Amino acid sequence: MNNTVIKFENVTKKFSFQNQKTFKEFLPALLKGEDTTTGFVALDNLSFEIKKGEVVGIIGPNGSGKSTILKLIAGVMSPTSGKVSVKGQVSPLIELGAGMHPELTGRENIYLNGAILGLKRKEIVANLQNIIDFSEISEFIDQPVKHYSSGMYMRLAFSIAIHVHPEILLVDEILAVGDTDFQAKCFAKMNEYKKDNNITIVFVSHSMGQVETFCERVIYLNHHQILADGDPKTTIEKYLSDTNK
Amino acid sequence: MLPLFKEIKDVIKWHELLWQMVGREVKTRYKQSILGYFWVILNPMAQMIVMSFAFSVIMRIPTNSAGNVPYSIFLFVALLPWNLFSNSLSSAASSLVGSAPLITKVYFPRTILVLSTILAKIVDFLFANIILIIYMIVYHMPINANILWIFPIFFIQQIFTIGLSLFFAAANLLYRDIQYLLSLILLLWMYLTPVIYPADLVPEKYRIIFQLNPMSVIINAYRQTILGGGAPNYTSLVIALVLSIIVLIGGLSYFKSREKIFADNI
Repeated sequence: MNNTVIKFENVTKKFSFQNQKTFKEFLPALLKGEDTTTGFVALDNLSFEIKKGEVVGIIGPNGSGKSTILKLIAGVMSPTSGKVSVKGQVSPLIELGAGMHPELTGRENIYLNGAILGLKRKEIVANLQNIIDFSEISEFIDQPVKHYSSGMYMRLAFSIAIHVHPEILLVDEILAVGDTDFQAKCFAKMNEYKKDNNITIVFVSHSMGQVETFCERVIYLNHHQILADGDPKTTIEKYLSDTNK
Repeated sequence: MLPLFKEIKDVIKWHELLWQMVGREVKTRYKQSILGYFWVILNPMAQMIVMSFAFSVIMRIPTNSAGNVPYSIFLFVALLPWNLFSNSLSSAASSLVGSAPLITKVYFPRTILVLSTILAKIVDFLFANIILIIYMIVYHMPINANILWIFPIFFIQQIFTIGLSLFFAAANLLYRDIQYLLSLILLLWMYLTPVIYPADLVPEKYRIIFQLNPMSVIINAYRQTILGGGAPNYTSLVIALVLSIIVLIGGLSYFKSREKIFADNI
């Protein structure tokens, strides 16, 4: 049985930035034969596989391409060359609250964000109470979210995303949200998912403590390539010794 | 044709998101405004009053050969669908740019963003039509079964609008100038479309320009079926339909070809 859910085959991601954002700049540059784009390689010929039920951490310095990997898995970006195959519904816990509308109430935002994450209305209705309870902001749920504090906002966003019942959960640096109690609650929920062998988790963090306790496997990324891939302790040690050089 | 069917299938699969997005647009547009949704009616009405004064009292544009339709109704029948077209296009052009946080984070068919904007404008349009209906009742405008033609005409208009919107939305994401260029195009386009004047005023030798302009055919057809009670010009309507489908396929394939780099460039 082939239980690979995420597969990267020789994936290269180049970004080319348009140097000129307007015609006024673009047309003369084009006529003069200047470069109209600047290239930047974010991932260079990467290959790896993640199997169903694995909990994989991705570590590496800023700009090493961690978030780009998550965006490729989420299907938001396409590789410049190579192939990314993903099987199953992906739920991104990437910078929460992207779909929140400040003028809508908390409840309306649950419906909107649920739909953005691919939930059916029935599923949202069934989960509504759980989401509200988990967020602990039930008294404000019918207020427009623009009146929320940033902590409340994140709580709501996280509650929605965590209740999607994903097959692949992408987590990017978001567990720094809320107070200590809420963080503990989030981790408890994530640990529940970790135990479920049908859910694959890809976890990006700069907190080595979190990665080491939470993940079963760690990929260390630097200079746009995979420098190590394996058990958390040795991989993290390699990363730390590299950074201390 | 094939990518078109695939896209339609995708959008149907994500229809719940589409309705949520339309609801978001409609619900939030006039939040924290005193008159709220009333603006949707006030706006075209003010426009109609001022334009009627300028073009019927000052310039004295005749309505049409059939006779004695008041200019304000004559104008309104064309102005409402024109406004729908022009508002849809200009908001659709900035719909992708306005949803940058979503585009860089979550996957769903991007066409939903364009479609939901257009659908929200159609909701506005339906409200704005209330005035026209009241107006027609007050003036005892005769109508007959030919008025049912407005549904296929409206359908053609939407095919054309969606096609152009997809093109402009994708292009504007890459070059923000497009939205400014678009407002210029829309302004000129309105004068090349029989909105404020009847189509019969157009000299014979320029008719071909009007036949190849789907908006002109569409606007004229609304007028013929609603005010004149006649059937539309079938040949022109078929040409408009064919052109609209070509525009839709062209717009969609441009959109799809750029879609992969939306998140990189936004």
